Amino acid sequence: MARQSLVALALAPVLLVAACSGGSTDSASPQDGGTLTYATGDAEPTCLDPHVGGNYPQALISTQYLEPLVGRAADGTILPWLARDWQVSDDGLTWDFTLADGVTFTDGTPFDADAVRVNIEHLQDPDTGSSTGYLAVQKVASVEAVDATHARFHLTEPDSALLESLSQQWTAIESPTGIERGTDANCAAPVGTGPFVVESWTPQQQVELVRNDDYAGLDPEADHDGAAYLDRIVWRFIPDAATRYAALRSGEVQMIDNPQPDAVKAAGQGGDITLIDAPRPGASNRIELNAAQAPFDDIRVREAFVRAADVDAGIETLFAGTVQRSSSALSSVEPDVYSDPDLFTADLDRANDLLDQAGWTERDADGYRTKDGARLTVRFPVSTNQSVAAEQSLFEQIQAGAKQAGFDVVLTPLDLSGWYAALGAHEYEAVSAPYTKVGPDVLRILYHSDGTVPAPSGYFANHAQLKDPALDDLLDRAVATADPDERADLYQQAQTIILDSYTVLPLYDQLNRFLVRDAEGVRTLNTVSTPTFLDARVLS
Amino acid sequence: MLVGVLRWLLARIGSALLVAWVVATVVFFALRAAGGDPTEAILGGPGSQAGPEAVAAARAEYGLDRPLVVQYLNQLWRVLTFDLGDSYARRMPVAELLREQLPGTFLLAVVALAFAWVLALGIATATSSARPWVGGLLRGVEVVAAVVPHFWLGAVLILLFSTTLGWFPATSAGSDPAGLVLPTVTLAVPVAGFLGQLIHDSVAEAEAAPFAVSARARGGSAIGVLWRHSLRHGVLPAVSLSGWAFGSLLSGAVVVETLFGRPGLGRLLLDATLSRDVPVVIGAVLVVALAYVVVMAIVDLIERALDPRGSTPTAVVL
Repeated sequence: MARQSLVALALAPVLLVAACSGGSTDSASPQDGGTLTYATGDAEPTCLDPHVGGNYPQALISTQYLEPLVGRAADGTILPWLARDWQVSDDGLTWDFTLADGVTFTDGTPFDADAVRVNIEHLQDPDTGSSTGYLAVQKVASVEAVDATHARFHLTEPDSALLESLSQQWTAIESPTGIERGTDANCAAPVGTGPFVVESWTPQQQVELVRNDDYAGLDPEADHDGAAYLDRIVWRFIPDAATRYAALRSGEVQMIDNPQPDAVKAAGQGGDITLIDAPRPGASNRIELNAAQAPFDDIRVREAFVRAADVDAGIETLFAGTVQRSSSALSSVEPDVYSDPDLFTADLDRANDLLDQAGWTERDADGYRTKDGARLTVRFPVSTNQSVAAEQSLFEQIQAGAKQAGFDVVLTPLDLSGWYAALGAHEYEAVSAPYTKVGPDVLRILYHSDGTVPAPSGYFANHAQLKDPALDDLLDRAVATADPDERADLYQQAQTIILDSYTVLPLYDQLNRFLVRDAEGVRTLNTVSTPTFLDARVLS
Repeated sequence: MLVGVLRWLLARIGSALLVAWVVATVVFFALRAAGGDPTEAILGGPGSQAGPEAVAAARAEYGLDRPLVVQYLNQLWRVLTFDLGDSYARRMPVAELLREQLPGTFLLAVVALAFAWVLALGIATATSSARPWVGGLLRGVEVVAAVVPHFWLGAVLILLFSTTLGWFPATSAGSDPAGLVLPTVTLAVPVAGFLGQLIHDSVAEAEAAPFAVSARARGGSAIGVLWRHSLRHGVLPAVSLSGWAFGSLLSGAVVVETLFGRPGLGRLLLDATLSRDVPVVIGAVLVVALAYVVVMAIVDLIERALDPRGSTPTAVVL
């Protein structure tokens, strides 16, 4: 301890000189060291350990200090990370992982097979309160530490999505010594193998991260070996989008997330702000129609709604031309994505014909269609936490379009808790619910009939209420097969059924955009599309 | 005399207790009525897909498996015994969370209130000594200031003074003076507009009163008479409403702290409400309500000092 501070004192003049000479060169040259300030508009995590709960804000920040067993390339290929190699048995029930040798967590604990076992058990321990990671490793019965560098996963049933699940930040590997400190300490500062280390957390204000000088450099897509360039990252919580943008423009911060469409558009037109557009994997942003109850238990009424809602025009104006229309249930970054634009073209005449055929022939005084005295009403709860302002406006345009065909769309803005409560009580005919997961297995979560059975909290993922045995069979076979081609084919068939059911009205990819100024080398992982600052440098 | 003071104190303590009971009750049932399950706050937030064992364990740990009446009575008992319990989401004592966030918000509210008074008095002085058309203009400004919403004013100030001119940072934390400027102005302007109008009306009344007329007749200057005589009458209603103003500043802090990315009680309250973190919401609202009771007591004392007619002998005459 004492010796370290002496060394620091001796080095101080050298560092000062280095800093000065760095500043005197080109006005905007990348430099080593320095601090990058990132401002996030996502909710502040209540726990920095993504094993606990498991939401996107936790994935964002933990990318800086925790690493997964495997990574993923842009084309969907699984890449080695903390695990260097893997093999699956013929019955798909045993996975053997060969682990990187000589890696230590930032608290000095060695990374080994036993650490992997402890992490999976941590995810599965009810006391951890894991939601996302717990689901991802649900089919893992146990992990056996064969020796220091070999971990054997025993599964209860085959899981073709296992590697994709393990690539997610919610199943990233933490120091067993860190976990042993208990939830409170581990939530405050989880310990990993990543390029940065959590130094301090000032709630509502910021988390400070410092460079891990001993970083092993296992990130498969790193553009340089060894430790990060930056000395530290200040991770600030600034909930208001306009304020974040103002802070970026005034130089208070170098990077922001969740920018508004006009800021994205401005960045696309040149200037010193650059845009990183990294759609999230898993599902697209889409409206789902509840097929379990009237009026959407009739496919003609569902198609009428889809045809009446003029989505394209709304997206173009409200998002200032910065967003691409989707016609898929999956995100465009998923290699197995299947699109069918013809299903979703606007056609008011067809909508009216379909509603006439379905028996919604009368109109009431307000111009809404009725059948047996009941109005053609669509309850549409809107999550004000998840739907940005432009998206809420888009729903209003859809409401106006659907009215022309005679639909009475009732938009109800709700906070996240109230929104989930409304869904849990089936008080909706239409809803837009984002879902992020690496790989096409998200289709099983969202559209398998199992997804209509509520979790203990009351949550269920299958908002379309699809209960189709043929679809269930395709999704079950896709998750069980070890053959990648067969898997891709099965997911294509599944997506055809889903889109043809008209329970899904795709809008666009889940927006995940970042603006950067006075920094370079920031890239996003191809797993859950979170940014990493390993290669980042600030421009002086 | 002592009896008077004691009675005064007892009344204040009584009202504090009443406020505490009302807050705990209203918040507890309002959060239930808003829908959503507080258990999810413990398990990563709304929409949690945690397994059955995890849900059961969380409910048992925080007593959420007990009947609602029992939970309510437990909550009341804790409030009465000054135990605010643990946050569901943050898994730490509510008292600690409040201690972290209280100073920043109180600093902001106190500075904003002081600044509002400076603005209001400044405008009142300027109006009474200015030409009629300037006075009319300033009155118009007061009316607009009193109704301008915080989120709009704050956004305009950021655009002007941060993005365009670069004088002040758009975001602020702690007691950094430069960062405190824009949030303070945002909070203070509507209150200043309101106080200004009040001061105005009652100063006008006082200026027309015989004592002011005779003071001017004795040769006092307009501003001298205003400050020595009329204002003392004129500020009384504004002082009475400063307690209310302080309360409105604390509630305005929810918007202003979110807008300027400033840590504080307001943001804590907002986040806790969204995640149905019942103990934190009750704790935060309780603190605000009790602060309001205390400020009202202080206002009461100041009023007695300014207007000795209704005062107890303990009051200090200015």
